[in-house]
Amino acid sequence: MAQYPALLDGVFQALADPTRRSVLGRLGAGPASIGELAAPFDMALPSFMKHIRYLETTGWIRTRKTGRVRTCTLERTSFDVIETWLSEQRSVWEGRTDRLERFVTTTQKEPPE
Amino acid sequence: MTTSIHPELDLTVSRIIEAPRSAVWNAWTDPASFEQWWVPAPEACRVQDMDLRPGGSFRTEISQDGVGFGPHITGCFLAVDELERIVFTDALVVGWRPAEASFVTAVITMKDHPDGTEYTATALHRDIADRDQHEQLGFHDGWGTVTRQLAELVESRA
Repeated sequence: MAQYPALLDGVFQALADPTRRSVLGRLGAGPASIGELAAPFDMALPSFMKHIRYLETTGWIRTRKTGRVRTCTLERTSFDVIETWLSEQRSVWEGRTDRLERFVTTTQKEPPE
Repeated sequence: MTTSIHPELDLTVSRIIEAPRSAVWNAWTDPASFEQWWVPAPEACRVQDMDLRPGGSFRTEISQDGVGFGPHITGCFLAVDELERIVFTDALVVGWRPAEASFVTAVITMKDHPDGTEYTATALHRDIADRDQHEQLGFHDGWGTVTRQLAELVESRA
């Protein structure tokens, strides 16, 4: 049960910061290099890279290095995490109810050993 | 007390079980029986505490392989009405002490039905996005809206 909230906390924590939201907004227009993404911010590159790594570890973006340029791409998984979470919880409870039903109806017919 | 449902956070599963209410109740409240059905095989469940009274500890463990067990539910019961209703949450632990992390309040009800027992499980979920994050982002109405607005936020730039 614990893993989805943890995942979701990460997904939302990533959005709590204006720099990261702005980066996601820019990446909505298509992939961009770290240099392009960092340009609008008055921020040292190592600090900016922390934001990029945060977005990467929380699943918002993917990064790929070609030669000396690292390109960032928006990852759709984070949207999917939020959307599928409730339907997964539903299947957990449906599975539980199925197994309870099976357990109760079989132990009714054949008393447990 | 009635339960107010938020369709974008909560879910209800209802089933007619062809067995008397007492059999369903026992399957839920006898730890050895509960362990038989709570998690899907090959996962295994172990009940550590099932103190069926308001404020009573409810702790279960889960194992992926039946060997190493880790925490699953750590919470307490809020209401236990013999043969009728069980309410538990992980927002509070034993003795109603606030829990570090919370996720769900579950309301289980059992009613007589011509074919046996009408069993209903309702899971009420915490709105996991913190309120101030909601405000920053202008999200108000739960997951459906959050997802839509996120998609719009990003796709509007496309």
